Amino acid sequence: MNLSLLTLELGVIGLALALLLIDLWTPPALTGRLGLAAAIGLLLILALSWNMSGGPPVVGCGGMFARDGLALFFKRLFLAVGVLVVLMGVEYRERLALGFGEFNVILLIALAGMMFAASANDFVLLFVAMELMSVSFYVLVSFQRSRLPSLEAGVKYLILSALAAAFLVFGIALIFGVGNTTNFAALNAEGVRLAQDKLYWLGLLMVLLGLAFKIAAFPLQMWAPDVYQGAPTPVTALLAIGSKAAGFVLLLRVLFVAAPVLAAHWSKLLMLASAVTILYGNLCAIPQRNLKRLLGYSSIANAGYLLLGVAAVNASGAAAVLYYLAGYLFTLAAAFLVICVVMRDNEDIGALAGLSRRSPLLAGALALAMVSLAGVPPLAGFLGKFLLFRALIERGAAESPESFRSYWLAGVAVIGVVISLYYYFAVIRVMYWAKDPPDLSPIIVPARVQIPLAVCLVAMIYLGVMPGAVLAGATEAVKALKF
Amino acid sequence: MKVADYQLSQYLPVLILGIVAVAFAAGTLLLSVLVGKRGRDSRIKDTAYECGMLPVGAGGTRLSVKFYLVAMLFILFDIEVVFLYPWAVIFRSEAGREPGVILGSMIGFMLILFIGYLYALKKGAFDWKH
Amino acid sequence: MNAVSLQEYLVVSALLFCLGLLGVIVRRNILVIYMSLELMLNAANLALAAFSRFNNNLNGQVLVFFIIAVAASEVAVGLALIVALYRRRQTTHVEDLATLRL
Repeated sequence: MNLSLLTLELGVIGLALALLLIDLWTPPALTGRLGLAAAIGLLLILALSWNMSGGPPVVGCGGMFARDGLALFFKRLFLAVGVLVVLMGVEYRERLALGFGEFNVILLIALAGMMFAASANDFVLLFVAMELMSVSFYVLVSFQRSRLPSLEAGVKYLILSALAAAFLVFGIALIFGVGNTTNFAALNAEGVRLAQDKLYWLGLLMVLLGLAFKIAAFPLQMWAPDVYQGAPTPVTALLAIGSKAAGFVLLLRVLFVAAPVLAAHWSKLLMLASAVTILYGNLCAIPQRNLKRLLGYSSIANAGYLLLGVAAVNASGAAAVLYYLAGYLFTLAAAFLVICVVMRDNEDIGALAGLSRRSPLLAGALALAMVSLAGVPPLAGFLGKFLLFRALIERGAAESPESFRSYWLAGVAVIGVVISLYYYFAVIRVMYWAKDPPDLSPIIVPARVQIPLAVCLVAMIYLGVMPGAVLAGATEAVKALKF
Repeated sequence: MKVADYQLSQYLPVLILGIVAVAFAAGTLLLSVLVGKRGRDSRIKDTAYECGMLPVGAGGTRLSVKFYLVAMLFILFDIEVVFLYPWAVIFRSEAGREPGVILGSMIGFMLILFIGYLYALKKGAFDWKH
Repeated sequence: MNAVSLQEYLVVSALLFCLGLLGVIVRRNILVIYMSLELMLNAANLALAAFSRFNNNLNGQVLVFFIIAVAASEVAVGLALIVALYRRRQTTHVEDLATLRL
């Protein structure tokens, strides 16, 4: 066993435990500082992660834990989300009635769960990492105990997440029964023999169902709008970005490390799930008036787009998934930062009326985020969608007799994008062209929001205009996968 | 005698003990029905005995949330033993190969639990008075 | 030597899993739903323990330990949530969770 493999995870867990102890002896007036301390600590760990790049892939801790390019890419992503969400939490502090210290600690523990998920090379670690995330999220989603929507969202998340976990565990049991191991590499070595066994297929199907919950894809997507709406805004951001990315890294690892022999056979099913997810998310988003709920449906639609890259079953598809998630991170973080500042007690889209005059910065940031989500060039969202579609077309060209399926799915995705223009631009219209906005008092944006917001905006434009570096990183990272 | 049969036969005393225990409980109850004289019951007789006072309110008492908290903490600290047992079983054989790892991993685990315990203590979860 | 075969264990485990799933779908009380979910987890535990025994591979039983420990922490948090909800709403029925709607 080599503890240096776990440096980043141990760093995050150590930070969480230290904050928990410090919080016990900190007077309540100073707890706000602890949030900033957590953000600085995460930034330091993120900086440390740049020191670790390179080196051949290593598998340690009894074959459970993989340190490779894919893991490192996702860990940086999670740490970046962590910094942004913790800063959002500082802004949100007065609205969390009690326990700001614990809020940060549980955020960090959820983050540690995601980072372990990025390195999972065994179904045991996959399960434990996912549950570490889930149990933390039960607490985080229902953190505003006195607010009924928060509590109800927590209970809904609890029931559905536990259901997904039950499917996942039963699937793992079947896989273990047939393969006599839970290790991804060992399962891959036996892949051809296992493919003969129907129970193995059933086990994988149940594991995929469990993961579909995490990424909010059909058929386990119905929790997303309710939970996104009810949860405290920073938690919604972490769910939308971190939890979804963790689900996708696990999906990639299960499909392309544990069962690459079978992955091509799953393509049909993934395409179907992707098409239904895209249409469901986009069509249901149209009538929404609550912005967080709208982003919940939009998040379902985005899970559908990301599934296109997985269903393509090729390296460019997987790289596109990674790139899309990086762009999605900064886009959504910007949107949720604005929601955090502007929508204090009213989350209706109407509350944004006149925002362009109240605070041009916030209005501009939210508008840019919506434009990026809608997939308008030259922002990150456009290029991400373009890469995903291109990977799918490549897939279609590769298997020419059945190519109609890929082209048909690409058509559905394009229809989805066109539908989404309507509701994303509705948000922009309210901000800039609403008649008689009721409130025109200027909003003062504190520096702790301005700085992360600026970082998000720059990253969004940078990723769209100069994708080279990140795309090269993503292409390098997916070399850990087999196609 | 086959191995499995032999192993099963070891549990025979336990089975006999179980049968005797169930038979004793059932027998005593049956005996009291057969031999005992059934008294006349009335509404007054059926009311709960409250030191001679007339009972007020519902029979079921509401328990303090305190009990819930203690029960939960008990479960959480109790389940850690699940990991301690297998660890103790393999300790001797593993300690020869990698002494630092086997001891260090459990110390790390206990340390995290201890921090949780400190947290519960400082937050007054074990304080019965308030 | 083995009085009970692997198939029989698996059939019982699958039945338990389906019973749990049925409970989740049919029952309307959150506490009962939660109990059904635990039943599903235990069905998986049974399957794992049986596979572990018949494959002569202890890893399955180790995974059972992990599942038990995780389920315990999940119950601790989940019950706390349900109790908190009950104190607010005086109900544990899923139909009453209707604050979050369009």
